[in-house]
Amino acid sequence: MELLLIGFLIGCAFGAILFLGGATSYRKILGTLLLKDMSIIKLMLTAIGVGSLGIYLLDLGGLANMSIKPTYLWGVVAGGGIFGIGWAISGYCPGTCLVGASEGKLDALFTLLGALFGAFVFAMAFPVLDAWLLQNANFGKITLEEVIGVSGIYLAMAFSMTLLFLAFFVLKDRYE
Amino acid sequence: MNDEPIISWKVAGIALGLLLTLATFLVKPLGVSTQFVVTDAVVTHQVAPTFAENNTYLSRYGEPSEWTVGYGWMLILGMMVGGGITAALLRNKQPLQDQGFMPAMWVMRFGSSRIKRLAAAFTGGTLLLFGARLAGGCTSGHMISGISQLAISSFIFGLVTFAVAISVAKILYRKT
Repeated sequence: MELLLIGFLIGCAFGAILFLGGATSYRKILGTLLLKDMSIIKLMLTAIGVGSLGIYLLDLGGLANMSIKPTYLWGVVAGGGIFGIGWAISGYCPGTCLVGASEGKLDALFTLLGALFGAFVFAMAFPVLDAWLLQNANFGKITLEEVIGVSGIYLAMAFSMTLLFLAFFVLKDRYE
Repeated sequence: MNDEPIISWKVAGIALGLLLTLATFLVKPLGVSTQFVVTDAVVTHQVAPTFAENNTYLSRYGEPSEWTVGYGWMLILGMMVGGGITAALLRNKQPLQDQGFMPAMWVMRFGSSRIKRLAAAFTGGTLLLFGARLAGGCTSGHMISGISQLAISSFIFGLVTFAVAISVAKILYRKT
C-alpha cells in the first residue's frame, strides 16, 4: 500500500515536471529534432548529469536499486529505430503523451491510444520476435563499468561533469 | 508574449535528476512503457482470459502478481494526475503556441486537417510502443534512467533513437 502511494507521488512530480518544462510541446520536441531548439536536449543532459551522479553516489553506500536493461543488440537497435520514427511523427514519447492527454490535448490522447494498440501488436508479434531479435546477440545487463573496468562512481563523475558542462556552457539555446 | 516553458530547462533538468535519484533510492529507476503492456494485459485478461494466457507475452503481465496494477502503474496514473492538475492550475502561464492539438508548425506544413494530425498521432503512438517494447524501454526507462545508470543498451537506444528521429523530422520538414 505504501509502495503504491510512493509510486503515485513520484508519478505526480514526474508529470508536473514534464508539463512545466515544456516536454509536452510539439513545437519544442520538433524544434529539438530539427536541431534548432536546444532546451529539451539541455533538460535531458542536466537530468542525466544529476541522475547518474546521484545513482552512483547511492551505489557507493549500497543504496541504489538499479535496474539495468539487457543489451540484446538487434532488438535494441530495431526498437530504437521504430521508436524514433514514432517520436518524430507524433511529437510525443510514451511519458509525455500521458501528460499531454491529461492536459486535454487530443493529439496526445490519440498517441496514447496508438501506444496501447502498439503494445498489443508487439504482444502478438512477440513469439516470432523473441527468437529472432531478443535472443540473438544478447550481451546481458552490461554497463560502462564492466566494459571499461573502472569503478562506476569515477565514470559517473566524469560523465556527469561532461554533460552538465555541455548543457550549461557549450550548447546555445537556439541554432538557426 | 512569452513563448518559453513555465520553468527553465535548468530547473526541470535538476528536478528530474533528483527525482530519478529519489526513485532509485526508494524503489527503482523511472520507467513508463511497460505499463502500456500491463494495461493491455489487465484488459485482455478480463475480456478474453484464454487468449491472454495463450500469448507468451501478455500472460506474463496483468495477473495478480508483481506485474500488475502496482507501483509502476500507480506511477503513470500519478503522471496523469500530477500533470493534469498542474496544467489546470497554470494553464494561463503556458505559452499560447503549446496549447491545443493543432501546432502552428504542423498546420503550416501539413494543413489544418484535424483527421490528418490525429491519424499521425495514432500511428506515431503505435510505432512508439512497438519500438519501446522491442528495445525494452522508452525515453524515461532507457534514455533518462538507463543512461544515468551507464547501461550499454541504453546508450545504444539513445543514439539510434535520436539519429532516426532527427532524420525523420528533417524529411518531414524538408524545404520544398
